[in-house]
Amino acid sequence: MSVMENNATPSRSGIGVLVDRFPFLPALLILVVLVALNGYFQPNSLGFRAITGLISTYLALMMLAVAQTYVVYAGDVDLSVGAILSLVNCVIIVLMERWGGGGFAVLGACAIGIIVGVACGCLNGVVVAVLRLQAIVATFATSIFFTGLALYVLPVAGTPAPALYWRTYGGRFLEIPFVFYVVAALAIVLIIATKARLTTEMLAVGDDAQKAFQGGLPVTAIRLKGYVLCGLFSVLAALCITGDTASGDPLVGGAMTLYSVAAVVLGGTALSGGRGSVTGSVIGALIIGLISSLVFYVGTPSQWQNLVQGLAILVALMLGVMVTRRVGA
Amino acid sequence: MSHLTIRGARKVYGATVALSRGDFDLRAGEVHVLIGSNGSGKSTLCKIVSGAVRPDAGEVLIDGKPVSIDGPRAARALGIATFYQELSLAGRRTVAENIGLPTLPVRGGIFVDRERLRALADRYISRFVDVAGEGFSADTRVEQLREDQRQLVEIMKTLATEAPILIFDEPTSSLDRSQVERFFEILRELKAAGRAIVFISHRMDEIFAIGDRVTVIRDGETVATSLIAETSPAGVIRQMVGEQEEFAVTNGAAPAESQKGGETALAVSGLSGKGFADITFEVRRGEILGFGGLHGQGQSAVLRSIFGVMPAEQGTIRLKGEERTIHSPREAIRCGLAYVSGDRGRDGVVHGRPILENVTPIHFLRNRLSLVRPASLRESAAKPLSALKTRFAAFDQPVNALSGGNQQKVVIARWLIDRPDVLLLDDPTKGIDLQAKADLFALIRSLAEEGMGIVLYSSEDAELLTNADRILVFNSGSVSRELKGAERTRYNLYHAAYEAA
Repeated sequence: MSVMENNATPSRSGIGVLVDRFPFLPALLILVVLVALNGYFQPNSLGFRAITGLISTYLALMMLAVAQTYVVYAGDVDLSVGAILSLVNCVIIVLMERWGGGGFAVLGACAIGIIVGVACGCLNGVVVAVLRLQAIVATFATSIFFTGLALYVLPVAGTPAPALYWRTYGGRFLEIPFVFYVVAALAIVLIIATKARLTTEMLAVGDDAQKAFQGGLPVTAIRLKGYVLCGLFSVLAALCITGDTASGDPLVGGAMTLYSVAAVVLGGTALSGGRGSVTGSVIGALIIGLISSLVFYVGTPSQWQNLVQGLAILVALMLGVMVTRRVGA
Repeated sequence: MSHLTIRGARKVYGATVALSRGDFDLRAGEVHVLIGSNGSGKSTLCKIVSGAVRPDAGEVLIDGKPVSIDGPRAARALGIATFYQELSLAGRRTVAENIGLPTLPVRGGIFVDRERLRALADRYISRFVDVAGEGFSADTRVEQLREDQRQLVEIMKTLATEAPILIFDEPTSSLDRSQVERFFEILRELKAAGRAIVFISHRMDEIFAIGDRVTVIRDGETVATSLIAETSPAGVIRQMVGEQEEFAVTNGAAPAESQKGGETALAVSGLSGKGFADITFEVRRGEILGFGGLHGQGQSAVLRSIFGVMPAEQGTIRLKGEERTIHSPREAIRCGLAYVSGDRGRDGVVHGRPILENVTPIHFLRNRLSLVRPASLRESAAKPLSALKTRFAAFDQPVNALSGGNQQKVVIARWLIDRPDVLLLDDPTKGIDLQAKADLFALIRSLAEEGMGIVLYSSEDAELLTNADRILVFNSGSVSRELKGAERTRYNLYHAAYEAA
């Protein structure tokens, strides 16, 4: 009760209502600014080819950010998404190689990959929601466990993906790049997911788990489902990264975990749970992608690129928070 | 048609018995009032029925069949719905979503059926729409609503379950007259339709307006169940007080009126703020002034505002005759005020730090110390700790290693190195054992005798009656009665606390 005590003022500005309704609006604004800046420093970056490249590179992060969003909705966090991505990447690479790299081998490997990722999500869900261990520490531990499995499956990075796989991912159908179809499919899935009952339930749990429990919601099951969804979208991220890098690497996802958390926050989702949108997370992932390319286009010397990129993400985060505070609460 | 019976329910938390023998009988077609003073065990009894708490002993029967209620969902499956005093709403969800939350209508297997949800919500909202006030609609998010409107949403949510057994735990505490009347109209309809309703309230007028039977709980035991038509407010209060103490003047060491001529230590006049209005009182040196009444009627808020935690909006505070404006606890401490809260975790103990550091922060602040010799610091810390009979092994032991009672002694000891003029005690004995309580009150009395002015709020009425020289009874944020001398009886205390505001 104390959390909700002070903001009972119904008077709000028009923009306030909009941001209230679409929490990702500030992120969208930052995205537009970044696109403009990219275009200013490198006009070619707004070309069809460059955008296709950007999307194929950052599709995995978008998927991973969506994965992370589903646990953050309920006030949880998953620090193992990157490790799940690595594990699935290794599993499908090894299976596709063993099974000969044909069409059925690829589909079969992807199916196994989905099973593996969902199992990982289940394990996380059981550890966090059923055994009630601290989400941050528990998923950190499972991330080490999953990385260990990935290293067992594929000890050294480098096994290539079959040509069929990466040619499909990087190819075109009816003159439209394959990744665009994936983006369209993702958009449709996300729109459907927004209307799902589970989304509302997860957000209600994120608001206050104890009250949701008293109110009769099956809190444990809802949090568990969040982790399973997270595992599923981590698999999709793994399929994308495999298409993009065309090889297996047991450590490929390690650095991506916190990027996914950053993307979620940049997209206007509250880490404490209860408020946010998957759309925002996708935009957040794109912001991170555009920042890296901008840093490159401005001509930052290579040894300064990390520093500048870090600063730029901080600035984006601050802008987002400022806009939300100004027009929101 | 449901008939709920509880027999011999018992619940123990650690060393405290929350409920020793709870009996309750609820029939279809009645509004059954449950009443008892602070900490008498009625909430525990309610929680047993709603599935939030599992009894250690005793049985729950529905229609004569023993059932075990393992959680809120199990309760719901058995046809029991609960209005929670602290509300069970998701702040960022809309009113409609909250009303439908436990069982959101589904379309196509996974989607929320917005139309049916809307229809469901509208059915219940329409009953209250003309009394709900401004800004209340199905699409408003709950966090944007006023307190009374949130309470209405929780009522609608409870009603929307259409459960045969409904439990309302203080559903009317923030509602205005017209809202309460509308709610009672609905309760009467439900009663006529054969629902069984439990109603908890502290307002006698409401209890007698809506109740059919009343069950009184005292000290964890069911005392009696009577028909409302055959009893009176005074009769109910007498049952809550207990026969033996009915008109007895309080015993104990309290009536120390000797310091009558003592000068005023703290004078407060016209103090108003969030949760209280127009509070005026004086504490003399050597006096223990008690704050009584039900939980959360503004007692804590007044103490915290005097101490500068949430400064008051209006009114004056005089310390030793001098007017002071206190904006923060830091200023309050410099002015010679001390505050000890029952919520040690939030306001008292510095977690994980050694005892020595926990005893000395006020010493540092009042003397503006920056460097000290540990040996001399230990010396000054040892005196108050031993005066309080604090049991501990060494000064560098972390404070968490102590029991609740000893932790509270450490917190109090911190104020005794440099004596304050006024000591504000905010329910200081919450969760501490009997021996520690006795030590504490002995100390408080001797501090008063040495000339300190003391304000004591306690949620345990017995503590107040035996220790306070005067008692101000709080009701809905203001003082409804002052009890002096022989007036300090349990009966008078309850009478003032339970009167309609």
